[in-house]
Amino acid sequence: MNELFGSSRAARRITSTLAWLCYLFLLVPSLIVIPISFGNPGQIEFPPRQLTLDLYRQFFTDPAWWGSMVQSLLVAVATTLLTLLLAVPAAYALARSRLPGRRGLQGLFMMPMLVPVIVLGLGLYLQFSSWGLLDTTAGIILAHIMLTTPYIMVSVLSGLKHSDIALETVAAIMGASRVTIFFRVVLPQLKAAIAVGALFAFLMSLDEVVVAYFLTGTQTMTLPVKMFSSIRWELTPVLAAVSTLLTVLSLLIALGIIALQRKTEASS
Amino acid sequence: MTVTTAPAMVELQGVSKRYADVDALHPVDLTIAKGEFVTLLGPSGSGKSTLLNLIAGMVAPSSGRIVIDGRDATTLPTNQRGLGMVFQNYALMPHMTVFENIAFPLQVRKVPKAEIRRRVGAVLDLIQLGHVANRRPRELSGGQQQRISLARCIVYNPALILMDEPLGALDKKLREQMQLEIKRLHAELGITMLYVTHDQDEALTMSDRIVLMNGGRIEQQGTPDTLYFRPETVFSAEFIGSSNLLAGTLEAGPDGAPVLRTALGTFPVPAPDRPIERGAKAMLLVRPENMTLQRGGDTVHVTGRIEDSILLGGVVRHFVRCADGSTIIVQELNQPGRVDAERGHEVAAGWLPQHGRLLPAPPAG
Ligand SMILES: Nc1ncnc2c1ncn2[C@@H]1O[C@H](COP(=O)(O)OP(=O)(O)O)[C@@H](O)[C@H]1O
Ligand SMILES: [Mg+2]
Repeated sequence: MNELFGSSRAARRITSTLAWLCYLFLLVPSLIVIPISFGNPGQIEFPPRQLTLDLYRQFFTDPAWWGSMVQSLLVAVATTLLTLLLAVPAAYALARSRLPGRRGLQGLFMMPMLVPVIVLGLGLYLQFSSWGLLDTTAGIILAHIMLTTPYIMVSVLSGLKHSDIALETVAAIMGASRVTIFFRVVLPQLKAAIAVGALFAFLMSLDEVVVAYFLTGTQTMTLPVKMFSSIRWELTPVLAAVSTLLTVLSLLIALGIIALQRKTEASS
Repeated sequence: MTVTTAPAMVELQGVSKRYADVDALHPVDLTIAKGEFVTLLGPSGSGKSTLLNLIAGMVAPSSGRIVIDGRDATTLPTNQRGLGMVFQNYALMPHMTVFENIAFPLQVRKVPKAEIRRRVGAVLDLIQLGHVANRRPRELSGGQQQRISLARCIVYNPALILMDEPLGALDKKLREQMQLEIKRLHAELGITMLYVTHDQDEALTMSDRIVLMNGGRIEQQGTPDTLYFRPETVFSAEFIGSSNLLAGTLEAGPDGAPVLRTALGTFPVPAPDRPIERGAKAMLLVRPENMTLQRGGDTVHVTGRIEDSILLGGVVRHFVRCADGSTIIVQELNQPGRVDAERGHEVAAGWLPQHGRLLPAPPAG
């Protein structure tokens, strides 16, 4: 008994060490930009010879950079909210309905996950150009909704799998309508799953570069697109500051997701 | 059989349910009177929950008509049937406090706030749990949670409360307490209740009427006394109470009265409720408490050897192994200074012929 416990603990320690090593391996390239971002604004150097905040100052005072950041946040927030409005009720309807075409419909929602992003980008570019949606904020939000919907659906569907269907039954017997049941019984149980999905969608939209590269123009450029073109044309060290900001934001969101998942595990 | 003078709360007319390849419920007719406490009793898989869910509207019937409170409810959505239901796993909303849980059905009915507070307070007093109003369900014991889920039903006066093995998750002592509490609430409030259990003692304790289910059919229904003393089939006899069954062939005795010829002898039997042909296979039921151990024995009896005697508090059970290998159970009252026959001793287990009950032999297979 004791030995078994001990050895399983050792095994767990080894796996978690391995996992951390993998994370580090993946993280190091991103982490390298952090010291660079506090370096000399004149050129990219590692390690930096002096520590300054000049690069951040440049970022926040240059409207081209600053504006694309605001644009990215706007797109990410709008994408997240609109996707939630679409995907949460859709996931609920899919999970609870007895429609014969249910599986096919679910597959349709998941499609954007399977199509290579570059193909999706090209397709949307061709479609949107005929609809006049190129270089519009609405266009890029629409595209990002397509990309993030499957992820929120998956998160909500798995949340629904863990939620107790007897609670919905008992609410119906007590006289509650479908709508009341959705808002007062189902949603409160899905809070964590929805929050995880939302953070994930927000992060995806914020990071997304391929589709945005196709669809945005000078008027609507998001931060990743701006970074991408700046790598190609100027390679300014401001990139390091932007990357650091993005990394910190992503890390915070990832930690939020982990914390939420822990909480739901503990409560169920 | 049961004469119901009160108006019907529920009427099932030829209601059945078929899943892809199983008949969960064969066509069933059942009437439940207003204010009645009816129990669906039967082994697991006999269709009890299916019957309950059909009444609740959670599954649609494959055939038949369901009338609730005088209204055809066959296709009425669940939330418009005006019922209450208590589940084995309580089904309380984990994100609501006890108060909010009980208030929920009232809010659904758009009852004014002040009245909600008053009515929730009243039912919490009724179940003596006023002090936990602000706690979450998971902070309460199983028994408390089940009382809350009962209160959540009572608070909106549904026409009928359905309960699907509500006490199945509780330990024996708590279960007995809750049985009495549910009976008390039924008597005080006069609500019609349809209760599902696979526990015969629970059914005998609580019911005005027991509906015994077997393989998706109603095997027999009647008062607890009827089911206990006048079972109509071997299944009923074996499911409720314990029973001694002697299999044999029905014949005419010397005086023309019916006798049953069995491997252990030929015994006089009372006339069955439904005529059984002479020469047909039949079974004689004698309840263990209607048998006594007789040392001499000139009444009707079988002989065998004492295999074991076990003490169950107020009563003693003797297991008598007969010549054909079957075991007869004899139950006697326990008394101070009782002397049991020794193990292996030859004894006679006797009974009064009028305490026997003749049943048709069960269908083969
Ligand atoms: N949703 C279902 N699909 C298929 N078969 C079912 C379903 N629900 C119940 N059954 C079957 O119907 C029969 C009766 O089940 P049920 O009413 O739950 O019995 P009980 O409540 O008496 O244990 C069982 O054989 C069960 O397997
Ligand atoms: Mg059941």
